[in-house]
Amino acid sequence: MIQLEGVEKVYRTDRIETIALTNINLNVRAGEFISIMGPSGSGKSTLLNVIGLLDVPTGGKVALNQKPITAYTDKYLAQMRNEELGFIFQTFHLINDLSVVDNVEIPLLYRKGLSSADRRKRALEALEKVGLQSRVYHFPGQLSGGQQQRVAIARAIVGNPKILLADEPTGNLDSQMGDEIMEVLQSLNRDHQTTVVMVTHDPRQAEKTERIVRLFDGRQVS
Amino acid sequence: MFRHLCKLVWNRKRVNFLITLEIFISFLVVFGVIVFAVYYLDNYRHPLGFNYENVWAVQVGIEKKSDDSDRQRLLDTTKQMLATLKDFGEIEHVAAVWGAPYSRGNWQSGNTIKGRNVRFWGNFMTDEAKDVFGINIVRGRWFGKEDDGANYNPIILNQKTARDIFGDEDPLGKNPEERFDPDPDGPSPSANREPKKPERVIGIIDDFRKNGEFAELFGYQIFRNTLTMPDGREPRAFVMKVRPGTTAEFEEKLVKRMQAIAKDWSFEVKTIAQMRSENHTSYYVPIAAFGLVAGFLMLMVALGLTGVLWQSVTQRTKEIGLRRAKGATATRIYKQILGELLVITTFGLLIGVLVVIQFPLLDFLGFATKQVYLYSMLLSLALIYLLTIACGLYPSRLATKVQPAEALHYE
Ligand SMILES: Nc1ncnc2c1ncn2[C@@H]1O[C@H](COP(=O)(O)OP(=O)(O)OP(=O)(O)O)[C@@H](O)[C@H]1O
Ligand SMILES: [Mg+2]
Repeated sequence: MIQLEGVEKVYRTDRIETIALTNINLNVRAGEFISIMGPSGSGKSTLLNVIGLLDVPTGGKVALNQKPITAYTDKYLAQMRNEELGFIFQTFHLINDLSVVDNVEIPLLYRKGLSSADRRKRALEALEKVGLQSRVYHFPGQLSGGQQQRVAIARAIVGNPKILLADEPTGNLDSQMGDEIMEVLQSLNRDHQTTVVMVTHDPRQAEKTERIVRLFDGRQVS
Repeated sequence: MFRHLCKLVWNRKRVNFLITLEIFISFLVVFGVIVFAVYYLDNYRHPLGFNYENVWAVQVGIEKKSDDSDRQRLLDTTKQMLATLKDFGEIEHVAAVWGAPYSRGNWQSGNTIKGRNVRFWGNFMTDEAKDVFGINIVRGRWFGKEDDGANYNPIILNQKTARDIFGDEDPLGKNPEERFDPDPDGPSPSANREPKKPERVIGIIDDFRKNGEFAELFGYQIFRNTLTMPDGREPRAFVMKVRPGTTAEFEEKLVKRMQAIAKDWSFEVKTIAQMRSENHTSYYVPIAAFGLVAGFLMLMVALGLTGVLWQSVTQRTKEIGLRRAKGATATRIYKQILGELLVITTFGLLIGVLVVIQFPLLDFLGFATKQVYLYSMLLSLALIYLLTIACGLYPSRLATKVQPAEALHYE
């Protein structure tokens, strides 16, 4: 499902060169739920961004759904992000000026051939999956952190991606809300065979996943 | 996507309100200037009704007694003047008129017809004026010998006045005064002086736009001036068609001779072309001044708008990054930012149009015809759209430069 071969990432600025990732080889099977752990600055987010096609690796090969990423062109990347991937962030990144359901519809706006009724229907289904059907017309500011993260998850899954990438999805939440989010992710993984890759600092959440990949200083240590 | 844009704009109405207001005000200002410009241009393309090439005007200042007792003498002098001028080899045709083209002052008259206002400017001309100005007769004829001693006063109308008074009827041979509503106060005191001859329309001309190309399209009547009592009038100007190539030196000769005939009159010689360009300047200057002010205002608005949009894009890098992460191409982002701007602009312009179409109902800017009004409106709309799009181009391009990974990195 996800294959990384010798992936490298070096950030170059005028004066300094930061090696964020060195020789990462990773193979995530379809339907797997793995977590990535490691100290701050060890390259977890960078790795997730490379998988999520938000960042271009300096070296190595990336393949998603058996499709090797050969050309990093804007149009192709946009389509891959839209159709194959769902991204969840630590700080939710909801658009405060849009209602919950409008936020969830966003990925569908960038997809061809969907009527507004289709979009609305799918968004409502996604919100139901995360248990937020009663907050559809609220605005993000009117929701708790856990609810906001569930909106973000609904937005990530509304396009039925095969892969869900989550960068510290529980990092901004207290442990109870964190557990709720974990349950949502686990049920998505279990019921819809969605492949989940989650970055976390929290060993308690990591233990709930099938496999833990550990990074240290940009290197894969297990 | 359009609905999504509208929703975004609407939900940010507090931020967008100021931009809307700015666009609304700009529209009003631009419209104000454009409606004048379009009005003048529209007037310009209508026929002038006379030729001004090689036509000179000598405007005369006459000291005149208030009781008209010296009128016979003034008329005799005028006749003598015409005869003398005619003898000049340089002069092909010469006539005495009340108002030379592009001169100041209008002789205005009017009345009501079934409660409807009919107004027109008038002029008094001697017979040769037709040849001086090359006036085009559309129907009927110009003044001539057949009018001498007739039991009517011959008059010539422009097409607008003919239409205003007689509608689709043939005006030739008719008396306009019979069409006017009776005076509610009874006959005026001057009416019992001596019975006046009835008027009779003998000809229709294209037009005679004495006030020039930019001036209002107005009704016009020309009365025959025979320079005889009791109806003859002393002129305010002599107009003459001079031979091509006549130089300014002729002016001195001309004035000398005229002064010899009428010692107490004053003369001012100008070519009509000269008067025309002075007249045009009097239109250009205010339009240019207003245009400059409006242009300056537009520049300020443009700079302000660019700044606001730029800032809004920087404030929205997270949103833009998020959209990129969710599958928006750079092009889509570009279109979104411009699209939002267009929605806001359209909203401001919509209010502007709603306000501006009230003006004719309130009889404000009433001089403009429907077409002029519509044209000005469309032009102003196009201009404001162009302006806002131009302001949005750079900020929109900036938005496409947002890299999702960086935009979403840290809080
Ligand atoms: N855009 C960038 N430019 C330069 N250096 C960067 C950039 N992004 C990340 N880095 C560097 O790459 C390294 C890995 O960063 P990354 O964000 O992947 O760490 P992380 O494991 O996610 O840390 P945290 O747990 O704090 O989120 C760090 O040293 C960081 O400073
Ligand atoms: Mg991180």
